[in-house]
Amino acid sequence: MKIIRITLAIVLSLLVMDASAFQIKEMAIGSKAPMVDHKMQDVSGRSISLGEVAQENGLLVIFSCNTCPWVMRWEDRYGDVSQMARANNIGMIALNPNEDYRNRGDGMDDMIKHARKADYDFPYVLDKDHLVADAFGASRTPHVYLFNGDMELVYVGAIDDNANDASSVKDYYIKDAMDQLISGQKLSRPNTKSLGCTIKRVS
Amino acid sequence: MRLFIVVALLLLSCNNQKSGEIMVDATASEIVQKVASFEGEKPVLVNFWATWCIPCVEEFPYIMELKEKYDDEFELIFVSGDFTDAKEEAKQFLKTQEVDFTTYYKIGNDNEFITTISDTWSGALPYTVIYGKDGTVSAEWEGKQEFDVFEEELLRAINEG
Repeated sequence: MKIIRITLAIVLSLLVMDASAFQIKEMAIGSKAPMVDHKMQDVSGRSISLGEVAQENGLLVIFSCNTCPWVMRWEDRYGDVSQMARANNIGMIALNPNEDYRNRGDGMDDMIKHARKADYDFPYVLDKDHLVADAFGASRTPHVYLFNGDMELVYVGAIDDNANDASSVKDYYIKDAMDQLISGQKLSRPNTKSLGCTIKRVS
Repeated sequence: MRLFIVVALLLLSCNNQKSGEIMVDATASEIVQKVASFEGEKPVLVNFWATWCIPCVEEFPYIMELKEKYDDEFELIFVSGDFTDAKEEAKQFLKTQEVDFTTYYKIGNDNEFITTISDTWSGALPYTVIYGKDGTVSAEWEGKQEFDVFEEELLRAINEG
């Protein structure tokens, strides 16, 4: 079963890679969440899957890490986002895909310390060999994916428009996306971009 | 439109000359116009980097080596995506790398900046794009690359001539 999962992930990653451009292609809006049954270890020692974290109205996935300065700037908003997701029956999970930095600050021990220090109140899991990040076509940290109750992708991109300063945010992309999802509206801005750290993949 | 581009480039170059600074503020449109100004003349390599980005700092010397090796054959544009409070640190880094030409500092909203520069760039740093002499994208990639890849892709653009 494990071999099948890994093979599937490799095939998926090859499908989303554009070799000539050396870039990862992001999942398209409307795509079904891949690898929902794939188990990952979280900082509490549990083994959980995206499917288990998803709730009635959907799932919010953040590719994150301990070592990216952009994550550190945006992290003060993770708590608000988590609160909003919980209040709206949307599950939230953060995945650390930085396989090449497991000995440079992104290993499980560091994740445990980081989650404790930053008061994470949502699962923070290690995406071993960045299998899920590859299947999602995630390129950077932080990189946010919001799925609806049918696990179809409705939003992908940034948390908001200002990593530097939460008080200066003009467009709170992910909160707007959750608002619109819950109220049954078509999302006005399903894709956004932001600077971030490349995911530290192993070749 | 052509007049607008010329005026914008003049303003950008005046700004550079006046400040004499190693790093000057630039919007995405100004970067795009800067690149366009070399169309028909020579290829352009644009590297988006930041001091907080370890792979950016690691590959920076490779790009400077290319500059030294093929100086007359292409234009090199560095654009820093550093946080505002790290701007001075970025300038210091440029000095340690012996950068003696004007580089740029990204200003404006991330989403607009990134989408103006490229449809395919996700925003991850480092990001490198090489434009051929005809102004079209010859190669682009996110993440760190080795010197050989930089050189191979740059030479491809130079030789496409």
